[in-house]
Amino acid sequence: MTKIKICGLKREEDINIVNKFKPDYIGFVFAKSPRKIDFNKALKLKSLLNNDILSVGIFVDEKIDKIIEGFSKGIFEIVQLHGEENNQYIKKLKNESFEKNKKNLKIIKAIEIKDNFDLEEFQDIDYYLLDSGKGSGKIFNWNLIQNINKPFFLAGGLNENNIKEAIFKIKPFAVDISSGVETNGFKDENKIKNIIGDVKLANGRYGKYGGRYISETLMNEIIHLEEEYEFFKNDPEFKKELNTLLNEYAGRPSLLYYAERMSKDLGGAKIYFKREDLNHTGSHKINNVLVQGLLAKKMGKTRLIAETGAGQHGVATATVAAFFGMECEIYMGEEDIKRQVLNVYRMELLGAKVNTVTTGTKTLKDAVNETFREWVGRFDDTHYIVGSTVGPHPFPMIVRDAQSVISKEAKTQILEKEGRLPKAIIACVGGGSNAIGSFYNFLEDEEVELIGCEGAGKGVDTPDNAATMTNGRIGILHGMKSIFIQSNHGQIAPVYSISAGLDYPGIGPEHAYLNDIDRTKYVPITDDEAVEAFEYLSRIEGIIPAIESAHAIAYAKKIAHKFDKEDNIIVCLSGRGDKDVSDIAKFRGVDLNE
Amino acid sequence: MSKIPNAFKNGKAFIGFLTAGDPSKEKTIEYILAMAEAGCDLVEIGIPFSDPGAEGVIIQEANIKALKNKITTDDVFDIVKEVRKQTDIPLVFLTYINPVLFYGYGKFFSKCKEYGVDGIITPDVPFEEKEEISGVAKNNNIDVISLIAPTTNERIQKIASDASGFIYLVSSLGVTGVRSEITTDLGTIIKEIKKVTDVPTAVGFGISTPEQASEIAKVSDGVIVGSAIVKIIADYGENAKKPIMDYVKSMKEACNN
Repeated sequence: MTKIKICGLKREEDINIVNKFKPDYIGFVFAKSPRKIDFNKALKLKSLLNNDILSVGIFVDEKIDKIIEGFSKGIFEIVQLHGEENNQYIKKLKNESFEKNKKNLKIIKAIEIKDNFDLEEFQDIDYYLLDSGKGSGKIFNWNLIQNINKPFFLAGGLNENNIKEAIFKIKPFAVDISSGVETNGFKDENKIKNIIGDVKLANGRYGKYGGRYISETLMNEIIHLEEEYEFFKNDPEFKKELNTLLNEYAGRPSLLYYAERMSKDLGGAKIYFKREDLNHTGSHKINNVLVQGLLAKKMGKTRLIAETGAGQHGVATATVAAFFGMECEIYMGEEDIKRQVLNVYRMELLGAKVNTVTTGTKTLKDAVNETFREWVGRFDDTHYIVGSTVGPHPFPMIVRDAQSVISKEAKTQILEKEGRLPKAIIACVGGGSNAIGSFYNFLEDEEVELIGCEGAGKGVDTPDNAATMTNGRIGILHGMKSIFIQSNHGQIAPVYSISAGLDYPGIGPEHAYLNDIDRTKYVPITDDEAVEAFEYLSRIEGIIPAIESAHAIAYAKKIAHKFDKEDNIIVCLSGRGDKDVSDIAKFRGVDLNE
Repeated sequence: MSKIPNAFKNGKAFIGFLTAGDPSKEKTIEYILAMAEAGCDLVEIGIPFSDPGAEGVIIQEANIKALKNKITTDDVFDIVKEVRKQTDIPLVFLTYINPVLFYGYGKFFSKCKEYGVDGIITPDVPFEEKEEISGVAKNNNIDVISLIAPTTNERIQKIASDASGFIYLVSSLGVTGVRSEITTDLGTIIKEIKKVTDVPTAVGFGISTPEQASEIAKVSDGVIVGSAIVKIIADYGENAKKPIMDYVKSMKEACNN
């Protein structure tokens, strides 16, 4: 995993920023530079620095005694040499610093990369730092890097625009950034936050969550998928085809509908619905399957497989498979097959084979397990369309990008209609794809509250719930590190919600991260509340929502009155409710099948 | 010191696997000792998990049975403690990473050291995520066993040169389970591995018959068998000691034919 160093810190504010966003290393400059500080200042800054962050002292042809003095005082653990220091100097520094402190001083030797560059070998160093000049802030020709026999820091002109490409192409041990995160000569909190986010994402990370915890057999396929996606997402031809499909086949853009009767009834904010239920196949799932289906086609795959909970993602996958003329197999838990007979038949009608999953809890979690088991045995012709912002990197990123069309449209639409941003966005969360899609383009608007509604089943204090954020803890499953509901000893716990689509013990890693940094919040909604909202919306607006979406509607009902009449809130109506009618009837004691 | 090198000192190694707690804690102890007595060179002990994603049906069933018996990570350490009173056979854990994360990496690996576990195999932690546990494992002298698959290709040397203990070469695509045929060109992969490391390579996934073992031992340093042993335990339950011993003897013999 590529690490990150933020160099040239000189103020206490700088330390506060890095303590918040936690790069792996920071650098203090003790050589001539606008960022130069003295040992006293550095000692003070180091005392404020979080213990998880290592500090690096930067010197140019300094006296060895002086460096050892700084090391002995504990100002830095690593030294970075930017001058004409030779092997003899380095050996002496290494030996004498060890003798004095009985601790190993790690050494980074900076190398200037020029066109006729020939790597000078240093035996006793730990890392190289490759730069275009002494902290010149310019990019060098990355093609010149070859056959470097030690881990290296990449430096020189790195910023938000080129950092992901640098990591992707060169895979350095670490990236070193200084002027790229400054504004008017001072470290800029937003730039640091963004660049650390970018580095982590290039590693498939959202803060400490995400990653790719999968079997070695699938690793190259996953890496390949990421490369293909990174290529096609910027390919004009791909973008054009995708846009046509979204507009002409899926029916985008979806409406932003003002629910006037409901708003007046609740007596608070104007409530808008983002009508993903009106998309082809009846939910937001089509946004993702079109992206991944088209990508799979471009990659030369001829067969699509997918898991499904409520059946919405299964139907969407079967739909694109039919559309692209591909083979399709869907994995669905035995319990969910019972709950969603109509969707099972729908998938079969579209030409898909539906496989019953009888392992574990026989629901969505086990359907994911089975789909991965199928994929690990056959991926030469088969793409696994993961249905939510879950799974190993790059899936959470691909699905989020695909679903972010929801908030992209919604932002334009609300500004047109209301001339102001919403006070809150509300969406239901299982794995979290419609929620992340609804939130994504509003993340930068800190005044907009972003709220995810979890399936609380029979209550968060009962064993029968799926409220991951409320009851979960950090864990690793389905290829990702995130938050999961677990029983004692780290077994994944059985979960329950009336909504098959929310009946999942985990949540996407980006949600876990956004929750950690307090950008989003997650609230539990019980079966009773959701069913009540399902019925309420049917009667008051003539819209039958999916039981998943009804969880978001239930929360909107709770909070609408807290806002002024001029305010607005947006609820993502992620799917339509036809599929749930017989289940809701049963919940109310009516059996439609008799 | 890791005892794993001992497993490769007695001709081609035979490595056996079972799931802890299937059919019971006591029987697991008995069966590990039986395997050691029958000539097994290293035993992999599976820590049961609710979602064993890399396993086929046979080992999935064993996990379900063990969890029904309420086997915990501490129970698995108890098993090791009892086994260690009677044998020095190299032992490695095969576990999904979540139960280890839950237990606490520091506590887990220091217990491994204390109880005499030599290595750990985590099928859901590939090379690129190795930092998850590599530091704490190293501090406790526990080998993290690297997996290489038929699809690893250009990443083989990177993974192999960083390996310790032994290298687990996955014979085929898919999940664990008995296979009638193994078609991967293992010899070529092992040649690539040998270019960069002396760490021995053992082959697992799908091997069940002495004929297969004999064939694979010709190109590798050892053979790993899981599902076939777990199947014997499923068939014979509490009375699997003798059939396990007969099977292990025949397999060890086949490895060195």
